[in-house]
Amino acid sequence: MLQPSPAPALIALRGVSKVYPGPAGGFTALSDVSLDVAAGSFVAVVGPSGCGKSTLLSLISGVDRPTGGEVVVGGTAVHALPERRLSEWRGRTVGIVFQFFQLLPTLTSAENVMLPMDFCGTWPNRERRGRAEALLERLGVADQADKLPSALSGGQQQRVAIARALANAPAVLLADEPTGNLDSRTSAAILDLFASLSDEGQTVVMVTHESAARTHASRTIEMADGRVVADGVGAVPAEAAHG
Amino acid sequence: MASPRWTKVRRDLWLHKARTVMVVLAVAVGIAGAGAVLDTWALLRVVVREEYLATNPPSATLWVDSVDAGLLATVRALPGVRAAVARRTVVATATSGGVGRTAMLFAGSDLGGSEVGRVVREAGDWPPGEGGFVLEASSESFVELAIGDSVALRLGSGAEVVLPVTGIARDAGLAPGWMEHIVYGFLTPGTLARLGAPATFDQLQITVREGEMDRSHIRRVAADVAEAVSATGRRVESVEVPEPGEHIHAAQMDSLLLTQGAFGALALLLSAVLVINLVTAMLAGQVREIGIMKAVGARAGQVAAMYMVVALALGLVAALVAIPLGAVAARAYARFAAELLNFSVEGYRIPSWALVAQLGVAAILPMAAAAIPIVRGCRIPVAEALRDLGISGPGERGPGRILGGLGGAARPFLLSLRNAFRRRQRMALTLATLALGGAVFMASLDLRTTIRGSVGELFGKSLRYDMSLRFVEPHAPDSIVAAIRATEGVGELEAWSGVTASVRHDDGLLGNGFSLTGLAWDSRLVAFPPLEGRWLREDDGRAMVVSRRLAAEEPGLRPGATVTLVVGGKESVWSVVGIVDMGPGATAFTSRAAVAETVGDARARVAVLSATVVGTASESELIQRLRRDLEDAGFPVESGQLVQASRVAMEDHLLMVAGFLVLMSQLTIVVGGLALASTMSLSVMERTREIGVLRAIGARHRTIALIIQGEGLVVAVLSWALAVPLSVPMSVAVAKSFGRVMLPVPAGMAPQAGAVLAWLGLVVVVSALACAWPARSATRITTAQALAYE
Repeated sequence: MLQPSPAPALIALRGVSKVYPGPAGGFTALSDVSLDVAAGSFVAVVGPSGCGKSTLLSLISGVDRPTGGEVVVGGTAVHALPERRLSEWRGRTVGIVFQFFQLLPTLTSAENVMLPMDFCGTWPNRERRGRAEALLERLGVADQADKLPSALSGGQQQRVAIARALANAPAVLLADEPTGNLDSRTSAAILDLFASLSDEGQTVVMVTHESAARTHASRTIEMADGRVVADGVGAVPAEAAHG
Repeated sequence: MASPRWTKVRRDLWLHKARTVMVVLAVAVGIAGAGAVLDTWALLRVVVREEYLATNPPSATLWVDSVDAGLLATVRALPGVRAAVARRTVVATATSGGVGRTAMLFAGSDLGGSEVGRVVREAGDWPPGEGGFVLEASSESFVELAIGDSVALRLGSGAEVVLPVTGIARDAGLAPGWMEHIVYGFLTPGTLARLGAPATFDQLQITVREGEMDRSHIRRVAADVAEAVSATGRRVESVEVPEPGEHIHAAQMDSLLLTQGAFGALALLLSAVLVINLVTAMLAGQVREIGIMKAVGARAGQVAAMYMVVALALGLVAALVAIPLGAVAARAYARFAAELLNFSVEGYRIPSWALVAQLGVAAILPMAAAAIPIVRGCRIPVAEALRDLGISGPGERGPGRILGGLGGAARPFLLSLRNAFRRRQRMALTLATLALGGAVFMASLDLRTTIRGSVGELFGKSLRYDMSLRFVEPHAPDSIVAAIRATEGVGELEAWSGVTASVRHDDGLLGNGFSLTGLAWDSRLVAFPPLEGRWLREDDGRAMVVSRRLAAEEPGLRPGATVTLVVGGKESVWSVVGIVDMGPGATAFTSRAAVAETVGDARARVAVLSATVVGTASESELIQRLRRDLEDAGFPVESGQLVQASRVAMEDHLLMVAGFLVLMSQLTIVVGGLALASTMSLSVMERTREIGVLRAIGARHRTIALIIQGEGLVVAVLSWALAVPLSVPMSVAVAKSFGRVMLPVPAGMAPQAGAVLAWLGLVVVVSALACAWPARSATRITTAQALAYE
């Protein structure tokens, strides 16, 4: 099942499991998942609701911790990082794009993009605004730089969120259902954007329901019931997913 | 350019203006309340130190039958005496504007000097010139005299002498004239002699050379002085050694400030609880944003720092409002308090350390209060923080579910009941804040009622006479009774004798002089409730009952004890048979026969009587008539006093103290109201989506508003139910604190119905006001807005 990557792995998961405690006993979200993601690849993680794909992303980003197994990103054992170091590591190494954009409502687009630089001190203060504007320009929303999120459309908000995720030039861009809240035209544009970022060398791991996403990704991982059920270059045949 | 995180902090504060204002108000109210008490205390401390001690208050006063220059020189030569002056004090009648009032006139060997009991000139002449009258400043408002006016003075049956008021001066050592209802005035010995007083002095006031703050040492020096005076063949009537360095009303003031300080601290504590409540809720509303910030790289410390800076900034803004407010209140209060002490605070500033202390508390309090919720909020794992709960909050359990399940009630009311219990921790804090405010309020009202009751008890049941007359000279008791009987309108009547007595302690030193009144053992005009021991009996001999205050000052005066008293310079052995409750004075009662036997004089100088006429005006008219008739009959009256006037004066002063406690309690109610308002605002904010759902299924404006108001009412009524039992220990504590230095008042073990109902009414009004804005906000939420809210 495991498809070995030709290049050295930027992300490596070994025997990862995640069990959420609940009143009716534990719920297993991930069960013994192992996989490698090479630098510069664009990976789409697909599967039905509750299959564990968002949990997978949470574990890679250090937002959540595995119940068992190892998560190594860029040589750092994320599962073992203490909480106090985790945030800074995440800020410098991982950029996260959420389904609901999660922009801070009282900050403008540019300020939202500057926020990770501010927290991590990755760029000198005087250069942050310029970098934020450059990223917004790159994502086609430079003219929205001084607007609050409430004044932007969904697509524009997601572009700003992607710019924010790229602010600290992270090794990995993680996107959790980035098109789930967008119309099909905007969704296609966002997927194109990820593909072009990947072409430029950015590692992208994206969780999605979108069948179209598979055509943009360089690799598609299909999940079901907390396990990887298919893994291949480009689209995974539907029968493999359900077989 | 400000960094994004501080921009976020600034905009969040502006976005949630109502909540921001609420936190600022909460801190400001607490700081202003506690600050006002601190400022008052600090200001009075400076004034007392600089003004009272600067007057060189006498270390001891000796009442001697006669003091002349030779005796004064002898006393000044004693090794322990630093300075000595001679004075004479006489009681006279001062008439101005057609009203006769009791006056206390002072003449001295060196009134203008500053060695002992310095009197400070405020206007006009000082010291008084020959034939001039200098009014003591604290009597000015009471007697309504000014420089240039005339006052007619009359000593006993002597001729009335009209004198011009030539100056105003302040004697910080006197209890205020307006409070005592006495006109204090200063004259030269020559002017006093014109009134018919002896030309010699009758008091020696001394200061000691060393150990000025050591009362035992002062007593020893005073005993040496008394011995030196006795060696010249004169008689020392009594000796008084006040608490060194303490104004006559200092203990009352300290107790008052201490009690108010406790209330101020409570207001501060409640503010802190309110800040905890608000910050917890603020962070609850920010959980997702905290999660986002941590997801993009913010460390928990960075996020915590943002909210700590918010708390600090809000505290400092509150300080900007509270410190000047507290200072203004403190100055007004200190002015009043200083009047009680007969000082003036004009020209004095609140010490800067007090203001700096408030600034420090304003900075630290919100941060300290916010620390726990901030640390807790910033530790929430990112995954949990980002999780979407939809219509948020846990389902209610416990009391909310039980109460909400009650049948028969209207549906909106059931919703209110259930909602009130949804956030149990916040509910508990709000309840505690309101309940404490209510308990303090009820305790203050209880104190007012018990003061009225105690004064009523003292004057209505214990003192069964309506007026007292003091004669210029003593007379045979039967002749006094016969003379008074001749005037129409007199009911029960008794003639009393009186002496000043001092306890001779085991070390040979004399205690302070106290009034020992001789009356019929079976007097029908007094009935003091015994606290210990019993009242007088016919066969008692030299026995006395003492007041609670005297027993406190002279711990040897316990029922069953035998003590040596010095009366008129002679020692005699007395037994103490009881301690009775007779108001705030240090005094004692015995039989007239015992006084007569001790001083060898059976005559009486005081008459007390009940009137058959009713009403203050009629009683005043009777007392004037009695004075005229008695003078015509050869019984000139030195002074006359209506019991009702004494009662009103005492009640007014005691109620003034209670009034300030009520004022402080109102501060705690404001904090409680703010707590409820903030809780309800947050509740509306958190339930925006739920309110939208209610609107979507047909709830009208009125229904939504009723739900919010009903929820507030549930909290208010519950807090009332908690406050009622809580007010009992509070009342006991307040009554004990008050009773220690003012008038002993019974500590009620059950809340008074009036106070309980008053608080219920008030808390309902507070609830309605506190919920008005949240209810309005809730009705302005549109369905579309609410369902899109995130």
